[in-house]
Amino acid sequence: MALSPFGSRSPAVTVASPNSALRLKAAAAAPQNASASTSTIIRSDLNPERELAEQLNDDIRRKYVKGKKLGEGTYAIVYLGNYRDDPSSLVAIKKIKVNAEYKDGLTMDAIREVKYLQELSHRNIIALHDVFSSKDQNLNLVLEFLPGGDLEMLIKDGDIHYGAADIKAWMGMLARGVWFCHENFVLHRDIKPNNLLIGADGEVKLADFGLARSFADPYLNMTHQVITRWYRPPELLFGARQYSGAVDVWSMGMVFAELLLRVPLLAGMSDLDQITKICEAFGTPTEENWPGVTQLPNYVTDKVVPLQGRDFFLRQFPTAGPVGADLLMSMCVLDPRKRATALQVLQHRWWTTEPRPTNNEDLPRKSGTKKMGNDLARVGGETDEGLFKNAARQLDFGGKK
Amino acid sequence: MASKNGIDRQDEDEVCPVCKSSRYLNPNMRFLINPECYHKMCESCVDRIFSSGPASCPVAGCRKTLRKNRFRQQTFEDIGVEREVDIRRRVMHILNRREEEFDSKRAYDDFLEQREEIIANLVCRTDVAKTEAQLQAYAQENMQSIKANQLLEEQEATSFQKKILMEQEEARLRQQMAREEYENERREQQATREDFLTRLASGSAVDAAALAREGNKVHLKKSSARRSEEERIRQKQAALRGSEGKRTGTPLTTADTAGAVAGAGFIKGLRKIKTPEPEKPYDPFMGLVPGKRDYYTQLESYPYAFLDKLRADTTVQAGGYALQEYYSRTLLEAFAGLGCFVQEEVAERDATSALGLSKPASTAGAAMAAVGEKAA
Repeated sequence: MALSPFGSRSPAVTVASPNSALRLKAAAAAPQNASASTSTIIRSDLNPERELAEQLNDDIRRKYVKGKKLGEGTYAIVYLGNYRDDPSSLVAIKKIKVNAEYKDGLTMDAIREVKYLQELSHRNIIALHDVFSSKDQNLNLVLEFLPGGDLEMLIKDGDIHYGAADIKAWMGMLARGVWFCHENFVLHRDIKPNNLLIGADGEVKLADFGLARSFADPYLNMTHQVITRWYRPPELLFGARQYSGAVDVWSMGMVFAELLLRVPLLAGMSDLDQITKICEAFGTPTEENWPGVTQLPNYVTDKVVPLQGRDFFLRQFPTAGPVGADLLMSMCVLDPRKRATALQVLQHRWWTTEPRPTNNEDLPRKSGTKKMGNDLARVGGETDEGLFKNAARQLDFGGKK
Repeated sequence: MASKNGIDRQDEDEVCPVCKSSRYLNPNMRFLINPECYHKMCESCVDRIFSSGPASCPVAGCRKTLRKNRFRQQTFEDIGVEREVDIRRRVMHILNRREEEFDSKRAYDDFLEQREEIIANLVCRTDVAKTEAQLQAYAQENMQSIKANQLLEEQEATSFQKKILMEQEEARLRQQMAREEYENERREQQATREDFLTRLASGSAVDAAALAREGNKVHLKKSSARRSEEERIRQKQAALRGSEGKRTGTPLTTADTAGAVAGAGFIKGLRKIKTPEPEKPYDPFMGLVPGKRDYYTQLESYPYAFLDKLRADTTVQAGGYALQEYYSRTLLEAFAGLGCFVQEEVAERDATSALGLSKPASTAGAAMAAVGEKAA
C-alpha cells in the first residue's frame, strides 16, 4: 500500500500565527531544497538578518509565475500559473483570502487542505505541488491544474450525453480517490459533483479538502455540520458526533444517483426536509433497521415508511442495470455500519460486469474543452498569430547539399 | 449468329476434331474446351462422352480425365492466351495481397514480380509441381487474409459500379434540369411579350415606349430572381450530395489481415500486423493492493480498558464509529515508514532533479514512499 511518509506525523498540529504555519511548511520543505542550499548559504551570508524560512519560501515562490485569474470562491482566489522554467507546465495557484474572522491566523479550511493534500498522493486526488506565502503573508497553494471542469457541469449540460459505461468510469475514479483517502484515515466530508474536478486527460480528481479531517480517534467528537446537505448522510443529520468513512460513501452514493438521474436525488430545502426526503426515498430509520439510532441527538420521526427493497432501486435506476442498482443500494443503506465501505464498493462485481468502463480519452468532455485543450497542447511561448500563420511551411533548402 | 455463341469466326468449314462433323452440316455447333487440356470439341461430343461421369479426353495422345462441368466456351481464339488468362486468374485469386499490406513500395513491387514469375512458370511449364505446391501451401496458410482481400475487392468493384451509376444518374438529372430551365424561360418570355402586346393594344401610343422599357426590366428582374433561386437550390443539393458522398463513400478499411503472418516466409516485406493487445480486465483499484500489510496482521479486537466505555456506547456505534478502524489506524501509524530510508531517497531525488526531472515535491515524496515500501 502506498503511504506518504508524512502519514504518521502527529495530527495535532496547532497553528498560532500564519508565520509559524509557514515556518512549519518551510521546515518540511527544507530537505527538498537541499540542492539549492549552496545558493541559499551564499545569500544568507549577504543578508544575515533574513530568516532561513523566508529564504526557502522565496525559493519556492520564485519557481512559479502567476497568471490570469481562473475563479474566485468564498475563501480563495484561483489563478492560472506555470513553472518559471517551463511555461508549458500549468498549475493552479490557490490564494487564500485573508479572512476577517481569522485575523490572527489562517482559516481552518486552508490548514486542512494543506495538511491532508500534502499527505495524499493518488491519481484521483488533486495534487498539491507546493505551498508558499506571498506579500501580505497570503497563503498560496500550488495545485494541479485541472482544465476539464467538474462533474456538476457535465451533469447539468444538456448537450452532453453519457451512458452507463461513462458513469462507471467516473464512479470508479471517484471510488478509488475516496478509498485512498479512507485507507490513509482521511475523511473528505464534502463529496459532491462540484468538487470532482476533471483533468485534461479526463481523470476525475477529488478536490477541495477544506473540510477534510482524520478519523477513528476514540472519544474525539467531530462536527456533524459538514457535507453539503443534499449529500449528507442520515447519521450526520441526526447529529452523530462519532462517525466513519461511511459518510463519504453515502455522498458517493448520492453522486452516483445524480449521475444516473442527472438531477440531485434528494434535494432537501432544510436539514429537516433532507431527513424527510431520505425517509421517503429509502425508508424511515428505526431501532430494528438501525440499532441505537433513536439515541442520536437529533433523531426525529414522523410517519414510518418501510425500508425500500431491491426492486425500488431496480425501478428507479434502470440505467445502472441490476448489478449497478445493487451497488447503489449498498451505498445508500441507512445504518452506517451496514453501509458498504469504500473498499467494499471497489470490490463490487459491478466494475467487472458489462459494460466495461469507458477509457479516459473517450469520456465525454465539457463543451469548450477544446480551446482549453489547445492551450495545453501548445508549447509555451508559441503563438498562432504570426504574419504567415496560414502560409504553407517554406521549403528548407539549406539542409540539402 | 456465331458471335452470339461467343465465337467470332465465320468459318463455315470448321470441323469438330472428335466427331468430324462440320459447321456446314450443323450451323448451331458450339465448341467447348476444358481447362485441363484445352482440347476443343463440339457440344454434342461433350454430352456424348462425359454425360455419364468423368472420362478421359478423346483426343489421341491426351490422357487427361475430364469432367463435364468444367467444360466452357472459349473466350480467346488462341488457346495459349486462353490458358494463360486462366492461370493468371487463378494465381491472382490466391496471391491477392494489396499494396497497403506492404512495408514499402519496393516490397510490393517485389511481390508483383514474384507473382509474375509464378504465372510465367505455370504458363511455360517450368517447375510446375514445385510452384503448384508453393501456391497451395500459401493458399492454405493464408486462407483468411485471401478471403478478406477478395471481399474487399468485391466491395470495391460494387462501389465503383455504384459510383458510375450515380454519376450517370446525376448527369441525366442535370440535363433534364437544364432543359426545364430553358423551357421555363422561353415560356415566361412569351408570356411577358403577350402581356406587353395586350397592354399596348389597350393603352395609348404615348406610353408605348415606357411600357416597352418597363416590360423589359420586369422580365430581366424575374429571370435573374429565378436564376438565383435555382442557383441556391443547386448549391444546397450539391452540399447534400457532398455530405452523403462522404458518409457512403467511407474509405474501405484495409482487410483485417489476421493470420497473414504465416505467409511471411513466402512473401517478403509484408507489414507486421499488430494484433491489438487484448484489453486487460478492469481493475477497480488500478494496481494498488487493498489491505496489504507487510509487518502485522490485525486482530478482531484488542483488550484495552481505555476503550471499554466506547465499546458499550451504542450512540457512538449508531453513528458508524468502528473501533476496528482505530486499531487499523494505530497499527498502520506505528509501522508506517518502516523500510523507508530518507537519506537514500533524498540522494536519489537529487540525482533525478540534477537530470532536470523536477517533480512536484509532494508527488515525489509519496512516490518514493511507495518505492520504499516495495523495497521493504
